Amino acid sequence: MTEVLLDWRDSDRTETVSVPDGETILDAAAAADIGLPFGCRTGACGTCTARLLSGDVVHHRPPRALKDRHLADGYVLLCIAEPRTDAHLAVGATVQAELVPNPWK
Amino acid sequence: MSDAEQPAETGTHEHHNHDHEGPGYATPQAAIEEAEPEQTAYVMGLHVGQDVDAPDFLAVVDVDPDSDTYSEIINRVKMPNKGDELHHFGWNACSSSCHMEGLERRHLVIPGQRSSRIHIVDTKERRDPELTKVIEPETVYDHDLSAPHTVHCIPDGEILISMLGDADGDLPGGFLELNDDFEVQGRWDPPGEIEMNYDYWYQPRQNVMLSTEWAAPKTYYPGFDLDDVEDGKYGQRLNFWDWEAGTVEQTIDLGEDGLIPLEARFLHTPESTHGYVGAALSSNIIHFHESDGEYHAEPVIEFDDREHEGWDMPVPALVTDILISMDDRYLFGSNWLHGEVWMYDISDPSNPRKADSISIGGYFGDIQQVQGRDIVAGPQMLQLSLDGERLYWTTSLFSSWDNQFFPEEAEQGSVMLKADVDPRKGTMSLDREFLVDFGDLPEGPARAHEIRWPDGDCTSDVWQ
Repeated sequence: MTEVLLDWRDSDRTETVSVPDGETILDAAAAADIGLPFGCRTGACGTCTARLLSGDVVHHRPPRALKDRHLADGYVLLCIAEPRTDAHLAVGATVQAELVPNPWK
Repeated sequence: MSDAEQPAETGTHEHHNHDHEGPGYATPQAAIEEAEPEQTAYVMGLHVGQDVDAPDFLAVVDVDPDSDTYSEIINRVKMPNKGDELHHFGWNACSSSCHMEGLERRHLVIPGQRSSRIHIVDTKERRDPELTKVIEPETVYDHDLSAPHTVHCIPDGEILISMLGDADGDLPGGFLELNDDFEVQGRWDPPGEIEMNYDYWYQPRQNVMLSTEWAAPKTYYPGFDLDDVEDGKYGQRLNFWDWEAGTVEQTIDLGEDGLIPLEARFLHTPESTHGYVGAALSSNIIHFHESDGEYHAEPVIEFDDREHEGWDMPVPALVTDILISMDDRYLFGSNWLHGEVWMYDISDPSNPRKADSISIGGYFGDIQQVQGRDIVAGPQMLQLSLDGERLYWTTSLFSSWDNQFFPEEAEQGSVMLKADVDPRKGTMSLDREFLVDFGDLPEGPARAHEIRWPDGDCTSDVWQ
C-alpha cells in the first residue's frame, strides 16, 4: 500500500489516496469516490494524464498516448499507473491539455 | 402541435399513399415533401476532458418555436459510465430499409469514442428516450477493434460502425457489425483492407462505399501534433469499397491536397456517384465521382490560411464538417478555427459556386456573441432540416482538440446555434433569438457535438 497525493493544479484541492499493491491510481481513486478525468482505460487516449512531482510510478502496459518527451517530462497515465513508492501528482484536465500545444499560436 | 399529439410519436414515419411499410421515406424528394418541421433534436453532450465529474449524456433539445421550452435542453439521458466521449451516433434504421416491414427508425446507437462502449437508446417516447442496452468495451476489443465512430444502418436491418483502431488503439481500424437485436455480429471487413478509418457512406445502387481516414486513436486522442503530420501518421486517402463484397476496390491518395479527409457525403440521389469529402488540415473540399469505371477526386473548394496577429504561423481553416441538403442543391460546411459556416451551390457538382457564409466564433469570426453569450469556439457539427430551411450547429470538435485550440470551452461549455436558410435565393441569416447553452447544466458546463432528428437526417439517410 502506498499513499498518493493528488494535487489539482488549478485549485487548492488536494486528496490523498491509499493505493493497494497491484492497483492503478485511477482505480484506487475511484474506489475512494474521488473523480479524475479518464477515457479509454488502456493507455491509448491520454485523458487521465497526470504529472509526477515526486515518487516512483510505473505503467503496467505501454503508455501509448505519451511520447518519449512526455515520459521524460514526468507525465504518467493514471489508468495504467501503479505507484512503487508514496507519490505526489499534479492532476486534472489541464495537465492533459499541456501534452500538445496549439502549433499555430 | 406537440410531439405527444403527433401520429409519428413512435419514431416511424406515417406514410401517405406509398407502397412501402418500412422506416424513412421512399425518396429524398419524399423526405422533403412529407417531413414535418423538426421539433426535437438529439445532441451529444459531453463532460470528457473537463474537471466535471459526470458522465456524458444524450441531450433532448426543444426546437419547436411554438413551445414554451424552445431552444432549451428539456431532457437528458445520462450514460451509466464516465469517460465515454460520446461523439457521432446513428439510427438503427433509415430510408435505406424503407422496404423492410416491421423495422422502425427508433433506436439510437451511441458509441463512446474513447471508451469503445456502445449504447442503445430507445426513442419511442421522443422527448423521454430511454437507455436500453450497453455493449461493453471488452466485447468490442474481442474483435480487435476500438474507437467506434460513424454509425449507419445497412439495408437489411443490421448496423455497421466504423472503428478507428485495433484493441490497443493502434492501426489498423475496420468495421464492426451489429445485428438488429444490437448484438455484436463480428467484423464486417476482412482485416487488413485498410489501415486508417474515420467516416464512411455507402451508395447501394452503385454498389460502392467510401471510407475516409483520421489516424490511429493513439495518435489523435491526446491532441493534434504537427510532428505526427510530418511523420505520416494522419490520413490522406479515400478508400472505395465493393459494398456487397466488403473489399477495397480502389484507393486514391490525395497527398497534401487531402490531409485528414474527414466527413464523406454522397449526393442523396441513389443513382449518383458524386460526393464530397472535407479535408480538414488541407482546408479543401474534395469532389469525387465515378467515370469509366473508376473514381476520381480533386479539390473544388479551397480555403486560404489566415494570419493571426502575434502567432507563429498562418492558421488553416480546419474544415471539420460538411453536409449536403436533401435536394442535393447545396453543400454546407464549417471552418472550425476560422469561425465560418458556409454554403455552396453544387448544382454543377464539379464546379461549386459560393452562395453565402456566416462569420461567427472561432479565431476570426465577426460575431463573437449571441444574446450576450460568448461563442468560445468555432462552428463545428452541422445538421440541416429536411426541407433545407434551417441549419443548426454546435461548437465542440473533440475534447482534447477543444482543450488545445479553444480551452475556454471547457469552462464555458458549447452552444448550439441556428441560421435560417433561403434555398431559393441561396442565403443564410443567423437567428439571433436561438441559443442552446450547454454551459449552464447542473453538473457543470458541457460540450455539444453531433445533432440528429427523429425523422431522419441529411447526414444519415441513404436510399437503396
